[in-house]
Amino acid sequence: MDQTLLFKQERDLDPALTDPATRTLNADKLTGRWLNTDPKTQGVAEITIAQDGNEFTVSVIGAGAGESIEWPRAKATVLANLEEEAGQRALAFAADFDFGFMKSETYIRVNKGVLVIVLFNTFNDDSGRSNYLNREFFYRQA
Amino acid sequence: MEFAQIRDRVDVRPKAGAMNTSDLIGTWINSNPNTSGIARIVISSSGGNLSLRAYAVSPEGLIDWGSVDINAFASTPTSDVAAGFTCLYDLGFAEARLQAMIMKGLLVLAQLQKFKDDSGRVDYFVREYFAIVHEHY
Repeated sequence: MDQTLLFKQERDLDPALTDPATRTLNADKLTGRWLNTDPKTQGVAEITIAQDGNEFTVSVIGAGAGESIEWPRAKATVLANLEEEAGQRALAFAADFDFGFMKSETYIRVNKGVLVIVLFNTFNDDSGRSNYLNREFFYRQA
Repeated sequence: MEFAQIRDRVDVRPKAGAMNTSDLIGTWINSNPNTSGIARIVISSSGGNLSLRAYAVSPEGLIDWGSVDINAFASTPTSDVAAGFTCLYDLGFAEARLQAMIMKGLLVLAQLQKFKDDSGRVDYFVREYFAIVHEHY
């Protein structure tokens, strides 16, 4: 018996969303070690995305003052990226990092072979810093 | 001062007031007239709180998602000017996380849609562009 699908937008009814193949499309486009295209970044220096079955984790190295900062590893929420690249759909990830004094909500996707991360950083301390967003680009380490 | 990246270690001056959110406020229209998702969003401010109302395309016309509070983000830890926002819609059968940033006058809106029902639909990500309705030109 067909199930009536609830929706709040036409896109929620896209047949691709119930296609099992959509869950695993092109995961290899994101997995691996990625280095920031800006060698002088003051933000995220590198990202490693690892796959274990259907689970993905995101490891981040932040640029520190003379030394790198390892962020707590985050489990990724896997999302089908409905944007097509070269006629192929891929995955995107959402990953949240909690530092105590700050929380970073991120999404990660690949565009033309470049990994893009967008971070929304919220400070929980009383430092007076503004919550801020930033975006960075990475190339895959050969 | 704790930091997770050197960009977070800044000298903070006393703030004159709340973040300037004027660049966010207004009606934003999807640049794609054939979108199957959110067609229009309206961001407004009341009593210091920012809220967003989304309207999405459906076979029966636009669906009003109602209003939710949004969190504004600057472009740096020392900026007082909003450059983006996040918010969360609980749609019952699904949860829609919206994350947006202004780039060259366009609002780039990422939608992270997570289904909570047993429909078997895969969670998805989509990014669309919105232009603000204005009276110039």
